[in-house]
Amino acid sequence: MLKEVINLTLLQHTIRTATPLILAALGGLLTQHAGILNIGMEGMILLGAFFGIVGSYFFSSSLAGTLLAVAIGILVGLLFAYFVIDLKSDEFIIGIAINMLAGGLTIFLLRSIFGVKGAFSSPDIVPLPRFNMGFLEGIPILDTLLNNHTVFVYVSWILVVLVYVYLYKTPYGIWLRAAGEFPEALETAGVSPRKMQYISSILCGIFCGLAGVHLSLGYLTLFTENMSANRGFIALAAIIFGRAHPIKTLIAAFMFGFFDALGIRLQVVGIPSQFTQMIPYLGTIVVLFVVAKSQLARKKRAIEGEAHNE
Amino acid sequence: MKKEKVEYLISLFLSIFAALIIGGFIMLANGRNPIVGFNALINGAIGSKYKIATTLAKTVPLILTGLATSISFRSGIFNIGGEGQLYLGAFGAALVGITLINLPGLIGIPLALLVSAIAGGLYALLPAILRVKYNIDEVIVTIMLNTVAVLLTGYLVNYPFAADVGKLGATEIIGEGYHLSRLVRLSTLNTSIFHVIVITIIMYYLLERTSIGYEIKMVGQNMNFSRYGGINVKRRMIFAMVVSGILCGIAGAFEVLGVHYRFLQHISPGYAWDGMLIALIVKNNPLGVVLMALFFGALKTGSISMENATGIPSELISVIQSIIILFIAGEAGFKDKIKGYFARKRLSKKAGEKNA
Repeated sequence: MLKEVINLTLLQHTIRTATPLILAALGGLLTQHAGILNIGMEGMILLGAFFGIVGSYFFSSSLAGTLLAVAIGILVGLLFAYFVIDLKSDEFIIGIAINMLAGGLTIFLLRSIFGVKGAFSSPDIVPLPRFNMGFLEGIPILDTLLNNHTVFVYVSWILVVLVYVYLYKTPYGIWLRAAGEFPEALETAGVSPRKMQYISSILCGIFCGLAGVHLSLGYLTLFTENMSANRGFIALAAIIFGRAHPIKTLIAAFMFGFFDALGIRLQVVGIPSQFTQMIPYLGTIVVLFVVAKSQLARKKRAIEGEAHNE
Repeated sequence: MKKEKVEYLISLFLSIFAALIIGGFIMLANGRNPIVGFNALINGAIGSKYKIATTLAKTVPLILTGLATSISFRSGIFNIGGEGQLYLGAFGAALVGITLINLPGLIGIPLALLVSAIAGGLYALLPAILRVKYNIDEVIVTIMLNTVAVLLTGYLVNYPFAADVGKLGATEIIGEGYHLSRLVRLSTLNTSIFHVIVITIIMYYLLERTSIGYEIKMVGQNMNFSRYGGINVKRRMIFAMVVSGILCGIAGAFEVLGVHYRFLQHISPGYAWDGMLIALIVKNNPLGVVLMALFFGALKTGSISMENATGIPSELISVIQSIIILFIAGEAGFKDKIKGYFARKRLSKKAGEKNA
């Protein structure tokens, strides 16, 4: 029984389940650096998944689906940014509103465009292309593990590197981080924090859109109601786990992807999967606790040190 | 009435009106006649005794979760975990109802409510302590705890407490004594509505007429000021959060005792989220919560009839609701923008006069 659960397929699934988490988390960590907590990622992923299907179905091309999802992602990112940055609305209220809007709108459109309830699937939906690295073929483990995934899997890894470089090796990244940490200083330096926040929010919309497309056009070509299934919140957990650092967040996303994949395998053999599914959520609270405690301890030491010096 | 209150009421009505207009356009785009659609919506919500009863029944969990949000948001600690507290409360009530089956209602119902209140309250206590003691963001913690509660009760109801017949994701039916009586034939409206009236009065009194309520408001408005003013900020925050959790837990209990007579794996279609939006729209005013919950309940009930009569998917309602919340959330910003626009206009006019 253990062999049915823990095997190479599990790792293969991990790579696949981690991808939407990686994509969404990359988007979310950008807004996080710009000083905005985005809990609307859940809705953004859902919209991406839906419009990916719409584009792919009507234009018979997964690229069209991707582009449509990206366009919608940009729109939602703009909407989020306009309310949070320009109208100074509470970021988490707007996040909740976006989640609710996405939930209602996708079901509404599912029924008015496709005339179905619950789920939509059709042979006319073109899935994302698969990718093979020729040189890995014939190498036993690496071939099954790393080959024959959708292009988005590899794209997400490349994006991690790009986001890392952007954040830490380019002036834009420094500005973006400054927009979150020292907006006044950035303003004095002649760069508008507002602009950086807008950019991060739009990028977040795009990345979440891609995450959604991977869900609906990746391995199964279908859309189901609420198919984002909390992935936006797990992505948020990965950001907190990775403390908004792209590489660390990637590792966290892989870890959570692993538990997701493990849960699915456990269900297959009839073992309750709820507890493995809980791990990302409980783990996040534990991490927050550990970080907060060490910060408190540091503060305490600092105060004691000052007292000692006097 | 104060000027800000009038201004707020105007923007509230404008927001609802604008959202309904947008809803009408969506109906048009869908190839349906909005007048027919809205007619069916209103008729479906209040067109008959049964329909009014259904609207009221839908209002019960919304008022409770709305009040729960009001008290927590007023104190400046944000309980986003209502959904999780509701699930645990519902499961707690069901647990009492399936273990002490033969208890008479007079003892059983209060006991079930007590257990659900404790379950919801304790589940809110944890994030409250993490917030006041370790300064950990309660928004993130409560979001995470939501899913944990849904998963935990999902496990309990599918394995240790699963009903014998079939794999339903449901417990056995609770004992007869626990069933709250239905008030109108065929509708799920039950005596929980009377409990809710009492709870609303208590909450109104607590928030608006007691020193605790005043202190909670102070803490939410200016924490440092309150601290210097001698208010025990931490204690007030914890109190607000726990009361919030208790109300959500009780909301869950009423779903079990009054509607389903058992715990179901997906017992709430997001009541706590709806309640939160309601409280946000009325700026945490307890009486406003009741009115807005009635409005939301009517929309929900009416949308089903609208769908049956005209074929317009009922989810249009949640689109309209989220547009209302967007407008209200942007209210202050919109106002500033409009005022800024007029101020600029006046300035340029003055400048023009001078030049002339």
